Amino acid sequence: MSSCCTPTGLEQPPAPSTPGSLSTVVLIGPPNSGKSTLFNRLTGLRQKVANYPGVTVEQHMGLMAGVGRDDLTLIDLPGVYSLTPYSEDARVAIDVLRGKMSGTPKPDAVLLVLDALHLTRQLMLAAPVLSLGLPTLVLLNMSDLMESRGGIIDPLKLAKELGAPVALISATRGTGLDAVPLFLGQHTNGNNAQPLTLPVLGNAASTHTWAASVSRRTGYQAPLSAENSRKLDNVLLHRIWGPLLFLVVVIGVFEVVFSIGQPLSDGFGDILARIGSLARPLLPAGWLQSLLLDGAWKGISSVLVFLPQILLLFLFIGVLEDSGYLARAALIADRVMRTIGLNGKAFIPLLSAYACAVPAIMATRTIENKRDRFATILVTPFMTCSARLPVYMLLIAAFIPNITFLHGFLGLRTVVMLGLYLAGFVAAMTTARLLKSSILRSSETPFILELPQYRMPTLRSLAMRLVDRAKVFLRQAGTVILCVTLALWVLAHIPPVPLHNGTYTAPELADSVIGKLGHFIEPAIAPLGFNWKVGIGLISSVLAREVMVSTMGTLYGADPETQTMHLQTAMHHDMTLGGAVALMIFFAFAMQCTSTMAVVRRETNSWKWPALQFGYMLVLAYGAAFVVNNVITALFG
Amino acid sequence: MVFGKKMPIRSTICDSDQIGRILNSDQSGRSFRVLPFRQPGGVRQVSVLTDLRIGETAILIALDLPDSVQNYLMHMGFVPDATVTALRRAPAGDPTVYGIDGMEIALRRETADAIRVRSASELVTPTGSEEELEETQELAEAAR
Repeated sequence: MSSCCTPTGLEQPPAPSTPGSLSTVVLIGPPNSGKSTLFNRLTGLRQKVANYPGVTVEQHMGLMAGVGRDDLTLIDLPGVYSLTPYSEDARVAIDVLRGKMSGTPKPDAVLLVLDALHLTRQLMLAAPVLSLGLPTLVLLNMSDLMESRGGIIDPLKLAKELGAPVALISATRGTGLDAVPLFLGQHTNGNNAQPLTLPVLGNAASTHTWAASVSRRTGYQAPLSAENSRKLDNVLLHRIWGPLLFLVVVIGVFEVVFSIGQPLSDGFGDILARIGSLARPLLPAGWLQSLLLDGAWKGISSVLVFLPQILLLFLFIGVLEDSGYLARAALIADRVMRTIGLNGKAFIPLLSAYACAVPAIMATRTIENKRDRFATILVTPFMTCSARLPVYMLLIAAFIPNITFLHGFLGLRTVVMLGLYLAGFVAAMTTARLLKSSILRSSETPFILELPQYRMPTLRSLAMRLVDRAKVFLRQAGTVILCVTLALWVLAHIPPVPLHNGTYTAPELADSVIGKLGHFIEPAIAPLGFNWKVGIGLISSVLAREVMVSTMGTLYGADPETQTMHLQTAMHHDMTLGGAVALMIFFAFAMQCTSTMAVVRRETNSWKWPALQFGYMLVLAYGAAFVVNNVITALFG
Repeated sequence: MVFGKKMPIRSTICDSDQIGRILNSDQSGRSFRVLPFRQPGGVRQVSVLTDLRIGETAILIALDLPDSVQNYLMHMGFVPDATVTALRRAPAGDPTVYGIDGMEIALRRETADAIRVRSASELVTPTGSEEELEETQELAEAAR
């Protein structure tokens, strides 16, 4: 198994193929038919999969090592209903399939993935794909589910009708996949399939007639529709219970992240501190020990502590995405989104932005209207991503007393946390309304959303999500955060001060380069209730929000006054309540993330939009923090 | 479903020739205005998707939407003669979830308004006399 997914741009293009031999295989199929699950099985990679249409929005490439054919490149594509592009993600798929995408090799063979539960409709895609004339293997996915629900399919008859081999598979369970290497083996020798002449093309109605007659002639019997899905929807989409349950779920998630996650994080923090104190005797006392332990380790571990809580949050997001609830949430929210002027579909990227804004901004490709899409991209960074969580957790734990209401079911800390999430959401909605009624005004586009059937999330897929997330988090800690903390430590220790005996010692923190810089910018942030250390944190956290926490860890660790204190205690001594809440509000609104800016630049193809976004969010953050600091100081100070 | 006693079925658009013509014209890119066909006198007739009550089923006739949307919907199964059932409304009353080909697809009201349907229980007898029509209707009523 390959350790991690490689970005598409870094993939080596395969050696130019001799005519007739295979080198590139492409996966195509309707949305939510399980292409990415199959891709992961065939390549051993881990592309994101979930149970809603439009998870994959760009092509991904990988070697087919999962079936022992690492000489072949497999391309995973976004789902399409037809070869007429309707949205940005579909255009990508069709361009790659036709070999028109630069940087992606032209495919030599096609794996057509169809959902066996709805074969008649899915066959409509078979006609245009088969008429491309490439060797094609038709894979009927979810065949296990189909059989268990009483559906009947005759793959042999279907193969005769389509003039292409057909195999029953289950990508989730990994059954029936031997057909893929078998098919590839047959075609490696260059006996290309004859292009099938199909009676109909280009016309949806006649394609459907053809698909229906094929499925009738092959004796396909659709399985019983999932009664359980309907019954579940009776509750989850109920007039009253539906929205209410949605709220309960959201509040429950945060309560759990706090009440279960906090002790876990505290325990993890103790372990990390123990590691630090165990390593101390191993290093010679002096600048190296100080650099590694007081600088790097203190900074990194102050962020790492939050790993258990972030993983808990991702577990919940995973359950929501894999079960199929996300599409229902979009349906519930459509009415709200519509008053704002956005399409209900925009709710799916916005919800997934609770994990991270970068994939969420890419997920907006499923929104057909370009202006709607841009408006969604511009407001997505307001959604509270998991990188804000460490900042919130640190400040809430340090400043908000642990009071509970409702017999201990709801804590004040949870309420503050929910308030911050709500603030981000309201800012996103207000901004979207502003954009849609000014520079991004457009006529309403139809809301067409396919509701997937509910599925039980598999432990395997949830575990994979968590492992991948932990890796991303650790990699971030090992690269960006490590570099920033080392740089900060160095800046906090220069210029050296000469001693009488000819040696040098570190300057007072306030006299160091970083102290001077901090004091220089302090007047600008003092009205918000921030001290100069927070100011340095704000600057360094433009790289990524969690850098704020590690910067605080390093700076308070470098200060002899607070060196021995826990970071929470140190901050509690050094900041007012007003300043702390203002800092949280600042983080709720400001766009402190270079990766997001880069992806916005890529998706909008211009620096204009990320610049506008950064400026707008900064002004809003500054203004809100100013107001909050003054109000809270006046009330409680 | 309630039917008017003297409702002339021939006046509706169930005529297969007419369906063919509408579809052919739609492919040429010309858009057609859907005339409201609600009958006077409180008779409820199903003519567009939004007329369906939850749990009711109808047969699709044609889509009166821009080409790209129409093509997209057709590939999702919204093709002439497909059976559509209104399954549920979203908590806010809109969009509505429709069942088609075993799939569940949510549409907003204005999209569903442009999808013409006929009642699934309506019998297509373009050449029947007035009496025969009445008879078939009575039979249909009795069957219900």
